[in-house]
Amino acid sequence: MSELATNARVVRALGMRSIRQTFRRPQLMAPIVVFPTLLLAIQTGGAGGAVNLPGFPPVQSFLQFMLAGAMMQSLMLAGNSGGIALAVDIEMGFTDRLFSAPIPRYTIVLGRLAGTAALGLFASLWFLAIGLIFGAQIESGVAGALIAIALVTTTAMAVGGIGAAIALRTGSASVVQGLFPLVLVVLFLSSAFFPNELMIQPARAIAEYNPLSFVVEGIRGPIVSGVDASELGEAVLAIAGIVVLGLVLSARALRHRLRVG
Amino acid sequence: MESVATLPEWRANLATIAALMARAKNELLRVPGAAIPGVLAPTIFFLGLNGVFGALTQLNGFTTGSYESFIVPVSMLQGAGFTGAAAGVNLARDIEGGWTDRLLVSPAPRWVLLAGTVLSASARALIPATSVFLIALLLGAGWPGIDGLLVTYLMVTAMAAVAACWGSALALRFKSQSAAPLMQAGMMALILTTTAYAPLALLQPWMRSVAEVNPVTQVMDAARQGFVGGVSWAETWPGIVALLALLAILGAWALREMRRTAA
Amino acid sequence: MAAAIVVEGLERAFDEVLAVQGVDLEVDEGEIYGFLGPNGAGKTTTVRMLTTLLLPTGGRATVAGHDVVKESRLVRASIGVALQEAALDPLMTGRELIRLQATLQGLPGSEGRRRADDLLERVDLAAAADRRVGGYSGGMKRRLDLAAALVHEPRVLFLDEPTTGLDPVSRKTIWEEVRTLNDEGTTVFLTTQYLEEADQLADNVGIIDGGKIVAEGTPESLKSQIGNPHIQLQLAAGSVADAEEVCARIGKLLPPKDGRTVLVEVENGAADIPRTVRALDEAGIAVESLELVRPTLDDVFVAKTGHHIEKDGEEGAEPEPVEA
Repeated sequence: MSELATNARVVRALGMRSIRQTFRRPQLMAPIVVFPTLLLAIQTGGAGGAVNLPGFPPVQSFLQFMLAGAMMQSLMLAGNSGGIALAVDIEMGFTDRLFSAPIPRYTIVLGRLAGTAALGLFASLWFLAIGLIFGAQIESGVAGALIAIALVTTTAMAVGGIGAAIALRTGSASVVQGLFPLVLVVLFLSSAFFPNELMIQPARAIAEYNPLSFVVEGIRGPIVSGVDASELGEAVLAIAGIVVLGLVLSARALRHRLRVG
Repeated sequence: MESVATLPEWRANLATIAALMARAKNELLRVPGAAIPGVLAPTIFFLGLNGVFGALTQLNGFTTGSYESFIVPVSMLQGAGFTGAAAGVNLARDIEGGWTDRLLVSPAPRWVLLAGTVLSASARALIPATSVFLIALLLGAGWPGIDGLLVTYLMVTAMAAVAACWGSALALRFKSQSAAPLMQAGMMALILTTTAYAPLALLQPWMRSVAEVNPVTQVMDAARQGFVGGVSWAETWPGIVALLALLAILGAWALREMRRTAA
Repeated sequence: MAAAIVVEGLERAFDEVLAVQGVDLEVDEGEIYGFLGPNGAGKTTTVRMLTTLLLPTGGRATVAGHDVVKESRLVRASIGVALQEAALDPLMTGRELIRLQATLQGLPGSEGRRRADDLLERVDLAAAADRRVGGYSGGMKRRLDLAAALVHEPRVLFLDEPTTGLDPVSRKTIWEEVRTLNDEGTTVFLTTQYLEEADQLADNVGIIDGGKIVAEGTPESLKSQIGNPHIQLQLAAGSVADAEEVCARIGKLLPPKDGRTVLVEVENGAADIPRTVRALDEAGIAVESLELVRPTLDDVFVAKTGHHIEKDGEEGAEPEPVEA
């Protein structure tokens, strides 16, 4: 059997394990979806009047605007949680078993990311459903929804790569878990919850250059209006950038982990 | 076998509460960095909310031009909620580890054991509250006046006690730290489904209905005095009543769960 | 003598499972009662009910004259408890823990301080008293737990598996301390899975299996119920038949374990050994080894339940019996 086929099977096996782990422990999965949903409800209910602000982009409702932000929050938490799971594997010695097997090292990380991608997929479907139930329309229809889902899933994997890198570098689940507040910080400093133009300095300046803003706007576009090619392109580039960062950091962290043992 | 005379019950109870509070402070003083999460979470929320939603003050009917001033009490109360819920998580950890058995096997009354946890949380909530307050002042929030500040701190310490009762009840009910997200999320929902983001009139209709029945709205409005508008008894007493009611209900539940640990 | 602990038909069900099914026992004041049984037999559940940490679902119990359900607070004021998982806080020092315990028991601060000093000295923790418990060894933690349980000079002391997991030296220290306490008049109720511990320490032993008491009495009376000791001879090949003939005149032959062993039950225990040795010597039979095997509490357990208390090799080396 060709090497590629074998590796693909390994990735699939590790991926299935990672997905099973994720969905088998609802108390770990719930915060990833429940917490952003709670925040979505609270923020639309509390700050929904924002749509009346001069300069607010034309949207059907604040909920429609916020869906992308909620998905973003979920996928970042999913990436963080994937990192925690990998760190737990390292602490328990499971990765040692994998490292000593005749499989290429990258399959280990890829397998872990499958779980994160599955969570991202679930989160995008969940929030699209919530939006539809509570009256928000997906302006670009099914095609738009599919684009949003694809973006969320790939970003989840990209962020998962960074989470994996941190897990490999530190080998400690509690360190990875301690980075959770950082997720919120990074999201606040983007256009996840509010349009860039209406944010207060210095948050506004940071949000304008935050790659996550481009991703959020790429996800938001199909929901609140039409698909904009340049917006989509920027989102894809931003995701690609995060993917590359994740790959580089993971590769170096992997080498470190193998040296340190 | 003769035992030496023990203290009269009321003195023994006070001494026990004081000793339990002394133990609780060990986590802050003897574990490096333990105070950080409690301070970090509300501070991040304060800075984030301010940077993201600050433009809301431009809406017609907003009661102040300074969003910092508007949300200071929100973040301070969030700190209280977080600290109280964390006390519940600590209790769950103590139950799992067997420490609580030591307390339950002693003749100390159950309410005394609960009071130790709750009062420690109230005291500890002063830390994030003060940190948020100072940062807010630096960012331009108005000085609330001594009376406004005192009312706010009163609301904060009592809210922490409420949160600690909630967290403790869950800890005693489930005897496991896995109830932690429920402890935190519950308090977050309670505190934010109020006039947290905007004045009552500017909330979305459904949120406005919830805020109108949520007792913590009274607490929020009372705590906001001085930062926005003046301080008056008429605005303060509803907050006090709300807190007393919440303490009575959640405290009774927590006490019931404490007594039922043997069941 | 008054009864320190009286238990009648005590039961505890968890959902459908009956962890404790109708336990009856009585412990006199000043007695050491050993509750012996394998893991999962219901020992800890019983202790938790007697110390008011768990409500019975049936039956009743009184400790130090008070009902565990109706007068639970009075029970708690009269008992000292050292549970299986030493309930300690790693961030506290040993001294702080004992002083906290004193406060919980309602003792004035000055009295608590004085007793802490005395007890720490007594359990040999005076040097480590101001170090954090998190750094204590397993043996030190048990000794601290025991000291804390004694701070209010309780009438009845409950020890749940006090020496499980300890090294032989720590185990002996705890045993000596229990004997001293008992000499001072404290009633001790201890649970254990170690035969030697029950044998050495307890005045009365209750053997529990599957939530029920299967045998009760002094260690000696229980063992004598099983039978007399026997002599076990290991012989060179070919001499077994001759040895059996000789031994049959001394005592009752028992079914052999293998083709090179002879087992003979004797009435006078060790006193029969010289006769046996002389008889074999006169018959010119070479003996490779000779051993006097006494019935153990495990034999009692096997006789009553059909299985051993300790699975073979599971518990590791048994402690050396302490010469009384």
